[in-house]
Amino acid sequence: MSRRLAANSLLLALALVLAVLPAKTARRPGYGGTLRIEIGAVIHSLDLSVAAVSPEEAAAKLEIDSLINDRSGAPAAQPAAGPFRISAWEPGKRLTLAANGDFPKGRPFVDAIDFTMGKSAKDRLLDLELDKTDFIRIPADQARSAAESGVRVNTSQPDELLAILFATGGSNAPSSPVRQAIAQALDRGAIVNFVLQKTGEPAGGLLPQWSSGTAFLFSASSAPAGAVQQVKEIRAQNQPSIRLLLGYDSGDSVEQRVAERIVVDAREAGIAMTAGPIQGTSALGAATVPPGFDARIIRWRMPSPRPDAALANFLAAFPGLAQAAADACGPANSAERIYRCERAIVDTREIIPLAFLPQVYGLSARMRDWQAPGPGETWPLADVWLDGAPQ
Amino acid sequence: MTFRAKLFWVFTLALLLSVGLVAAGVTVATRRAFDDLNREHSDALVAQFQREFDRRGEEVVDRVKAIASEEATIHMAVDLSLPKGDASVYVYDARGVSQSHQLDFLDFVNSDGTIISSAEWPAHFNSKMNWVIQPEDWASTGSFLTKMDTQDGPTLGLMAVTQVPVADKAIYIVGGERLDKGFLSSLVLPPGMRALLYLNLDQGFQANDLVSAGTPENEPERFTSLIEKEQASPQPRTEKIQWTFDPASAEEIHALPLVGRQKELLGVLLVGNSLRNVVLLERRIRYLALIVAGIGLLLGALLSWWAAARVTRPVTKLVTAAQEVAEGNWSAHVDVRGRDEVGRLARSFNQMTHQLIEQRERLIQAERVAAWREVARRLAHELKNPLFPLQTTVENMQRAKDKNPELFDEVFRESTRILLTEIENLKSIVGRFSDFSKMPQPEFAAVNVNDVVRDVVKLFEAQLGAVGRPPITPELHLDEELPAIQADATMLHRAMENLVLNAMDAMPAGGVLMLRTAHKDGTVLVEVSDTGGGLTPEESERIFTPYYTTKQHGTGLGLAIVQAVVSDHGGRISVESESGVGTSFHIELPSHPPRRPQKFPMLLKQEEEA
Repeated sequence: MSRRLAANSLLLALALVLAVLPAKTARRPGYGGTLRIEIGAVIHSLDLSVAAVSPEEAAAKLEIDSLINDRSGAPAAQPAAGPFRISAWEPGKRLTLAANGDFPKGRPFVDAIDFTMGKSAKDRLLDLELDKTDFIRIPADQARSAAESGVRVNTSQPDELLAILFATGGSNAPSSPVRQAIAQALDRGAIVNFVLQKTGEPAGGLLPQWSSGTAFLFSASSAPAGAVQQVKEIRAQNQPSIRLLLGYDSGDSVEQRVAERIVVDAREAGIAMTAGPIQGTSALGAATVPPGFDARIIRWRMPSPRPDAALANFLAAFPGLAQAAADACGPANSAERIYRCERAIVDTREIIPLAFLPQVYGLSARMRDWQAPGPGETWPLADVWLDGAPQ
Repeated sequence: MTFRAKLFWVFTLALLLSVGLVAAGVTVATRRAFDDLNREHSDALVAQFQREFDRRGEEVVDRVKAIASEEATIHMAVDLSLPKGDASVYVYDARGVSQSHQLDFLDFVNSDGTIISSAEWPAHFNSKMNWVIQPEDWASTGSFLTKMDTQDGPTLGLMAVTQVPVADKAIYIVGGERLDKGFLSSLVLPPGMRALLYLNLDQGFQANDLVSAGTPENEPERFTSLIEKEQASPQPRTEKIQWTFDPASAEEIHALPLVGRQKELLGVLLVGNSLRNVVLLERRIRYLALIVAGIGLLLGALLSWWAAARVTRPVTKLVTAAQEVAEGNWSAHVDVRGRDEVGRLARSFNQMTHQLIEQRERLIQAERVAAWREVARRLAHELKNPLFPLQTTVENMQRAKDKNPELFDEVFRESTRILLTEIENLKSIVGRFSDFSKMPQPEFAAVNVNDVVRDVVKLFEAQLGAVGRPPITPELHLDEELPAIQADATMLHRAMENLVLNAMDAMPAGGVLMLRTAHKDGTVLVEVSDTGGGLTPEESERIFTPYYTTKQHGTGLGLAIVQAVVSDHGGRISVESESGVGTSFHIELPSHPPRRPQKFPMLLKQEEEA
């Protein structure tokens, strides 16, 4: 009986070993294959010195540049050849990169990367579901529905700030009480839960909790009653009618939906706010509010996981805010100083943080070893290999 | 204005009045008929619109019910009824569902009134729509109007609500159509009609709230009055708006208040019915009536003229004849036939003139007889005085011869002297009568009457101041601006002599002889006044009668001659006298003598016979 049991156990163990062995060998990285990527941007020039026409194109150009150039050396030095080189280039339509076998840090696993440009988010998702592409970017508000529909979704840490930036200095710029009323009226929870479909987290400060550790000190809750009261006081004083135009990037559906929701909150507080798209290159200058608008939606992506570096970058990107909070934003980089600086900026109400967004990617089933890049990092496509490629 | 003209205008005005009354009556009747027809047409169209509106409401109800019965909706209701039901996954569902069911509004509302998903305003999720969860039997409510909030502001919706109950919870499907330009465009309206919608979203009239199916209204403010009336008292009413000065631009606007479930005024449907065709038809009829009336009036005027001429022709003849009679032609005869009043009048006129002539001739005959009698009397009187001495002288001569022959020679001489004297006296009397009968026809020439007066006064200067006679003082008041007149100076001189002599005889105790000349309107006035004893009224009346005299030795021909001279000059003489004060003779002499007056036939005949 025991011998029989031992024999059965041995057979079972052998069967398990035989079953596991092929799987283990399949998970080993293989070289070869073409990684298909679809992007929304339409790139006409890969030269970084040539200005992009949209934030999406600017970001895509940086990603592609990181694949064909190695800028890890001295900043002033000529960039070295990257892990890929251009093999085919149809401006505005298609770009094919071939693996650079002479890349000092090792040849990429995939033989080639094929970029198809000008694909809308909806088309990108559809192509991914139909296995016509391997890698796409997914708008944050569509991440949940994509995951529920079976798409393999990869999400980074929330590293991108979504906020309202107000125009300042002009005679018609919204006053501080008006900005305060809007800040109170905002329902960040509704924005994150409904507009962003729970992808991201409400933001009260400039840096996320995982980075600064002090984000919880900034309130992200709404106070609609306080906003209504504030608006009544403003009207009673000198402004019987408050009308504001909130701008958003005309090519960014997330910004549009967030802006429309802000309009709802503002109107319920008694502020006649409308939302309108910012056309063309005006959307690029995120640090300023274009003429004709009273405020705009901005995105600011952290360049570094380190709060001091990220805040420094923020101050550099928004010099107006840096000037407004100059007293609190000194060179010291202690957690307290960072908090005080952040608090000073937020308290000006010239910027109202809304949410922290992650970067959301859609991956095909054969894409392996993808690691979502952290703040300041580019797509690590040289490390990606395709399932089914030759060993 | 002549009688014919008066008659013409009376006929014409009567005709004009008649035609005008008939035209006005026809116009009023036509307009009422058109108004009634137009009202019936408009009522039918408004009713048609109401049916269309109701049909659209039923469609909305059906679509909302269809959405409620869909599996996805039921799944949503079940999911949200669960304790961990997540509404965020449905936040964008409404838009797709609304598009597939052709609804402008679609809201999924949770049992607590929170909007789960909104098609018309996707960002409106998580807001409250509390009126939906009020206790109401939505299944029997049907469609209704309500104000809906959208991203572009509030607007009106034809809505329906359906409840999807699950366990003790429920979700509400609120769907509907937007009442806007598209809704108006989809309404089937007959030609000439249009529909506008006023969204009663603000106080007072706001031009921006007026929605039209086509191009925006050019003059929305013209609806202000109507809208404000509806806002004050919502009820169907009609007003007419004339868009330009052309009445054909008029449009009848039917205002239908659109009220919500609480009977609050949410909008006003304005159904415009162009009156162009009606006005043009009315105008065509009016033009036609005017043309017919004009032709009728023209014909009527011509007929009036003809009738007036026909009626007045005998009258005109009568007038002409009467004028001839007035001018002295008493033989004027009116040739009018007919048995009507005018004919009888003409015959009466002819009879009257005939009788007048006869009476005049009889009168003249009587006067002539009377004159001859007077002549005979005067002649007898004048001749009797000289005849008596003649008879006495002749008898003396006979007696002297028979009884005293020795004295016969002396008697004879004395008697023959007396006889010659008396015979001379008889010749003088006969001569004066002869002179009067031989009054010559005047020979007219330019004469200054002042000169005539001065000559006469000069002629009598010696007699006026003669010794042994009470003095008579002449006073001359002559108008030196007196114009020359056409007259016979000799005859005038003779007339003035007679007047001066008459005045001198009237003042045996002396007095003042005043002669005055003046002129007025081309007529020369001469006045000869004395301060004698004056005349009685009876004397004044008869003083110009030939052979009438108040003096013992007068012939009664002096003033008759004066009157004859004045008459031959076309003038007039009158006397003014007051007993004890004096007598004034007033002569009026025209600047030009008139034609020689026509003699009566009988007189002419008698004169010829004479």
